[in-house]
Amino acid sequence: MAAARILIVEDTPSQAELARALLADLGHEIRIADTGAGGVAMALDWRPDGVLMDVELPDFSGFEAMRRLRASGFDGAMIVVTAHGSVSHAVEAMREGAVDFIVKPFAKARLTVTLQNALEKRALAQELRVVKAQLSRDQFHGFIGASAAMQAVYRTIESVAASRANVFITGESGTGKELAAEAVHRASPRRARPFIALNCAAIPRDLLESEIFGHVKGAFTGATESRAGAARTADGGTLFLDEIGEMPLEMQVKLLRFVQTGMVQPVGASRTEKVDVRLVSATNRDPWAEVEAGRFREDLYYRLYVVPIEMPPLRARGSDALLIARHFLAAFAAEEGKRFRAFAPEAERALAAYPWPGNVRQLQNVIRNIVVLHDGPRVERAMLPPMLLRASPAAAEGTLPEPDPMPEPAPLPVPEPVLVAPPSAVSLSAPAESAPVPPPAPATGFSWAPTGEPAVETLAALEKRHIQATLAMTAQDVPRAASLLGVNPSTIYRKLQAWKAEG
Amino acid sequence: MSAIDAEIAGQLAADLPVEDFVRILRTFERDLLRLSHDLDQAVAIRSLEQYRRTAHSLAGAAAAVGAKRLEKVARIAMDATSATDPREVAAAIQLEAKAALAELAALADDPPG
Repeated sequence: MAAARILIVEDTPSQAELARALLADLGHEIRIADTGAGGVAMALDWRPDGVLMDVELPDFSGFEAMRRLRASGFDGAMIVVTAHGSVSHAVEAMREGAVDFIVKPFAKARLTVTLQNALEKRALAQELRVVKAQLSRDQFHGFIGASAAMQAVYRTIESVAASRANVFITGESGTGKELAAEAVHRASPRRARPFIALNCAAIPRDLLESEIFGHVKGAFTGATESRAGAARTADGGTLFLDEIGEMPLEMQVKLLRFVQTGMVQPVGASRTEKVDVRLVSATNRDPWAEVEAGRFREDLYYRLYVVPIEMPPLRARGSDALLIARHFLAAFAAEEGKRFRAFAPEAERALAAYPWPGNVRQLQNVIRNIVVLHDGPRVERAMLPPMLLRASPAAAEGTLPEPDPMPEPAPLPVPEPVLVAPPSAVSLSAPAESAPVPPPAPATGFSWAPTGEPAVETLAALEKRHIQATLAMTAQDVPRAASLLGVNPSTIYRKLQAWKAEG
Repeated sequence: MSAIDAEIAGQLAADLPVEDFVRILRTFERDLLRLSHDLDQAVAIRSLEQYRRTAHSLAGAAAAVGAKRLEKVARIAMDATSATDPREVAAAIQLEAKAALAELAALADDPPG
């Protein structure tokens, strides 16, 4: 058993010294208090693992001291030590929270065994509390979810966080891969150092090397200043390489060298520099399939795929969808100044029944859409986008009447994708993740000038096309598209609503 | 009958390094002098609570070093149902304390083992 802190509350010096001497070879740290008040104060301040409590103390009884400690939330193991061997004393001791009871005189073996048993019991109780808390937690470093699938993710993140091992996160689009990477960083001893995230798909291949390793002034056209690069900026911290599967093969060679040596060579520099970086990579593809297809280097795969974390899709997370929906509803209602506080039961059933191909990101967009377009004390089923209603028809439920429609405008579906970018841009190099994006629909809304005049697209049509293209690029992630476009997400939702009304 | 139970004192000596054993006996001697005085004072001021609490401390301390006769008399004082006159008990405790101290001094000078 590991060394513990033991407090002896005893007013007779020879008794206190005797207990201390008998426990000496167990290696525990021992302190002595000679009054009830002193014992309580020392226990609350020093937080010992175990307390040997005399009953007869100068100011008040040991039982009273235990009562005060319990009332203050003290959770150390308390053992009553007394010259009274009566049953009533033993019963009172146990009632006040003692785990055991020793009658003076006691032999060394009796004292040490009793104490060790009490400490082991306490340690087990503490472990049980921790495990129970872990198994029932519904939030973890920004994640919301109490499902077994997410508990497994939390445990893996906690287990791996303290090590230097590289982490490889896989999962469908919108499952929270970047959040997982941040959680690994925040739970690690590197948390005070930088967390640098790079989306390999969003950076032109010519700039990727410079983005990761930096460059020196004049290294290439436009390099007017030296730049540190993500790897050096993340020194001592974590470098998150998102969409690692999109990294060109020639860049993979350079990354492999960096992973093997920890040395950074900025573009145009003749010298290398040692950095201490923990790598977390992510992809929504099957990394081994990419290796087999020749698109990802096998040696780099083995270097990066040390501890895998697979983010479960929302459809595999049970009632997490509702937990997350409630969280987003509260957040967006506060942000938009709306009254929403809850979902109607029929709305919750529809949310729970939908398979969420776009995962948490899609759920986030749906809730944002509802909050922007409606108002009321609760979200009714009629406010949900049609795709959710189709997946969970009210008639099929057959138990609850259809709620009264709200006076607000008819619900707008989560933006149906109108993809104008070539499919290859989505599947190969664009930052959008392809899995949840439905097939491209024909581009609409173009306005051509009459024959004979130069073909000029109206400003409104141009705006619509640009927003739709941005939405396609971001896998219909309205907040992200809004961020890229420099507008509020509400603006996009309102425009989508207007375009829908136009037909 | 000896004032000190050889078996208990021997076990204590076996459980502890000799310097700890001697130190604890010396500490007990000081405790005994103080507690005997406190007991007399409790009798003098007729404080039953102090009398019983001091007797409890005496009994525990005496039991720990094997001062069985002293422990036995102290337990009479501890007993709330005892009809024995506290002055008589206090006098008996003083006698047993002296006997125990004499034997403990010898033990401390020449510890067993």
